[in-house]
Amino acid sequence: MHNKNKRFLPFLYLLPTAILLVVFLVIPILYTFYLSFFDWNLIAPTKEFVGLRNYLEVFTDPVNQKVILNTLIYIVFLVVLNFLVPYFISLVVKFFISKMQGVYKVLFFIPSLFSLVVGAMVFTWILNPVSGPIAYILKNFGIAMPNWSNSGILAITVICFITNWKVFGYNFILLLTGLGSIPKNIIDAAKVDGIPKWRLIWNVILPMNRGIGIYVLILTIVQGLQYVFTPINVITTGGPYYGSSNMIYQTYLNAFVLYKTGTSSALAIVTFVIFLILLFIEIRFVERKAKNYA
Amino acid sequence: MKNSNLKRVLLMLGVMAMAVLFTACGKKTSATSVKHITYWHVNAQTQGGATVDELVKKFNDTHKNIKVTAKYNPDMYKGLMQNLQSAQASGKVPDITQVGWAYDNYFASNFKYMTPTDAAKKFDGNSKFIDSNFTKRTLSFAKDSKGHLVGLPYSLSTPVLFINKDILSKYNIQEDSLATWEGIKEASKKIHDQSGKYGLYIQEPADTWAQQGIMLSNGADIQKGGKAAFASAGGVGAYKYYQEMVNDKLALHTPWAQGMDSFIKGDVAMAFTTIAQASHIKKSASFNAAAIEAPHFKDHKTVVPVGGSMLAITAQDSEQQKAAWEFEKWMYKAEAAVTWSKGTGYLPPTKVALESSAFKDYVKENPMLDPAVKTLDNAVPWTSFPKKGLQAEQAMIDARDKILSGSDVKSTLETAQDKINAQQK
Repeated sequence: MHNKNKRFLPFLYLLPTAILLVVFLVIPILYTFYLSFFDWNLIAPTKEFVGLRNYLEVFTDPVNQKVILNTLIYIVFLVVLNFLVPYFISLVVKFFISKMQGVYKVLFFIPSLFSLVVGAMVFTWILNPVSGPIAYILKNFGIAMPNWSNSGILAITVICFITNWKVFGYNFILLLTGLGSIPKNIIDAAKVDGIPKWRLIWNVILPMNRGIGIYVLILTIVQGLQYVFTPINVITTGGPYYGSSNMIYQTYLNAFVLYKTGTSSALAIVTFVIFLILLFIEIRFVERKAKNYA
Repeated sequence: MKNSNLKRVLLMLGVMAMAVLFTACGKKTSATSVKHITYWHVNAQTQGGATVDELVKKFNDTHKNIKVTAKYNPDMYKGLMQNLQSAQASGKVPDITQVGWAYDNYFASNFKYMTPTDAAKKFDGNSKFIDSNFTKRTLSFAKDSKGHLVGLPYSLSTPVLFINKDILSKYNIQEDSLATWEGIKEASKKIHDQSGKYGLYIQEPADTWAQQGIMLSNGADIQKGGKAAFASAGGVGAYKYYQEMVNDKLALHTPWAQGMDSFIKGDVAMAFTTIAQASHIKKSASFNAAAIEAPHFKDHKTVVPVGGSMLAITAQDSEQQKAAWEFEKWMYKAEAAVTWSKGTGYLPPTKVALESSAFKDYVKENPMLDPAVKTLDNAVPWTSFPKKGLQAEQAMIDARDKILSGSDVKSTLETAQDKINAQQK
C-alpha cells in the first residue's frame, strides 16, 4: 500500500502544472488544429468544412509566400543581431576586457526593462525619415535619409534593430554567465600550453559553452519572432504590402483583423511545426552535450 | 431558569422576524428601482475617456433608478469587437456598445441587438426622438447593407485639409487655390521647388478612409448595388494623381504617426486627415495652422465618407433595453453631445447639438472645426460591403500599398475590385 502511494505521489505533484498546461496549451493547440480545416469568422454559429484548403492557401497564396520568406529574413537578421553580436561582445568582455564587466552588464541590460511599445514609438520618432533627429543631422551633411517604412527590407532591418535594443542585454548576460561557468583550470591549462586566444575560444570555449549557446540561439529565433510583432503592429502594420510582415503577425492579422480563423489557424499550425523542429534541434544538441559530459 | 429560556427563544424569534423583514425589503428595493447597465466604449483617457466618465457620472447622479458603468476597451473598435465576441460566447454582453462604421455590417449580421427604431416604438410609442434629432443623411450612416438602422450615429468626423499658413504665405499661395486637388498639386510643386519640403501628406492608417474621399471627390463610387465599383475612370484618375504626387516627391508617403509628426514640425505644408486631429495640431504645432474643407477634383464636388461611430443597444432583457434606451437618449441631449464633442474632437451627431449656441461658441473658439461641420452636408456612409467587409477593406489597403510602391493603377484597382466582388457572391 505504502509503495503504491509512492508511485502515485509524483503524478499528484505534477497534476497542477499538468492541468494548467492542458487547459492553456494543449487544448488551444488542438482546437487551433481543428479550426484550421474550417472557414469561420469567429462568431457565426456555423463553420464550413474546407478540408486542406487553408493549408494549400498558406503555401500557394503569393502574400503568404512573401510572409514566409520575410520570416526567414527575420530569422537571419535576428540571429546576427541578437545572437552572434552579443556572443562576440560577451567573448570580448570576458576574455579581452578585464575591467568594468559589471558596468557593461548593467548598461546593456537597462533597455530590456522598457516596454517594447514604448521603444517602438520612440524609435518611430527618432527614425522619422523627414522630421526625426537623425534625419535632421544627416540633412546637415547633405544626406537624405531613406524612407525606410516604404521598403520591406529596410523596414525589417529597423524592426530587428528595435528588437535588438530590447533583447541584446538579456542575451548578452546569459552568454556571459555561460562563459563564466567554464572551469577556470581548463583555460589556465591552455594558457600555460601557450595556445593562442582565438584557438582557445574556437576549440575550447565555444564547444564547452554550446548548451547555453544553442539555448540562446533558439530563444533568439522563437522569442525574437514574437518580439518583432509589437514594432510591426505599432509602426508598419505589416506594410508596405506585407513587406515587413512575418508569420506571427500574419496569423494575428487573419484572426483578429480579418476574422479568417481558418487561414489564421493553418498559419499558426505551420509556425508551430517550424518551432517544434527548432526545439527538436535544441534538445538534440543540448542532450548530446549532456551525454558527452556524462 | 425557565423564564430566561423563554426570553432567549423570544429574542431569537424576534431577530429572525427582523431578518425576514429586512430581506424582503431589500429584495423589493432591488427588484423595482435600480437597473444596472454597462456601456462599452473605445475612448482612452487621452481620447475623451475622461469626458465619458464625466457624462456617466452626471447621468448616474440625476437618475436614481439607472446606474451606468462605463467600460473602456483598448485598441479602438477592433479591440471592442474582439471583447464583444468573447462576451457573446460567455453570454454576458454589455447593454450599450459603441460600434465603428467599418464594423457596421459585421456587427449587424453576427450580434444580437435592438434597433433604435424598435426601441423608440416599444418604449416611447413613437419615433419622435429619432426623427427630431437626426437628419436623414446622418441616419444613413448607421444603416446596414439591407437599409436597416443598426444603431444611432454617435460621433461623426470628416476629413479636412489642414494647412501651414506660414509656409503658404511664404511661397505666396492663396488658400482659395487649394479647393481643388489640381490646385494642391500646383501649390505643392511651388513649395517643393523652392524649399525642398513636401507639399502634402494624406493619412495612411490601417484603412482607406481618406483615399476613398479622394476617389469620391473625382466622381467615383466605392460600391454600387452592393458591388465594388472603384476601378472606374474617376477612381483610377484619383489614384494616378496620388501616385504621381508621391513619385514626384510632392506628397509624403509614410505611416500616419510619422506623417502627422512631419506636418506638425513644418516639413509638410498640408495634411489631409480627420478633423479628430484638430486638437493635437492646435496643441503641438508652432506655426499658424488652419483647416479648410476637403478638396475635390475640377468639375466634381467634394464627397467624403463619414468617420466615427454609432451606439447600439446590445442588452437582451426588456428592462435592461429600456434603461439602455433611456441612457442613450440622455447622451444625445444637446448639452451632453456638446460636452462629448469637446472632449473627443468629433462632431456631435444631432441637429439640436449642432445648432446649439454652446457648440457654435465652441466652433468660434476653434475655427478648425468649421470646415468639418460644413463638409457634413457632403458626407456619405463609410463603405461597408455586405459580405466579408473587413477583408474588402484589407483588399483596398493592399491596393493602396501596391500603387504607392509603383504598381500600375488601373490593373491594381481592377484586381482589388474583382477580389471583393468574388467575395460578395
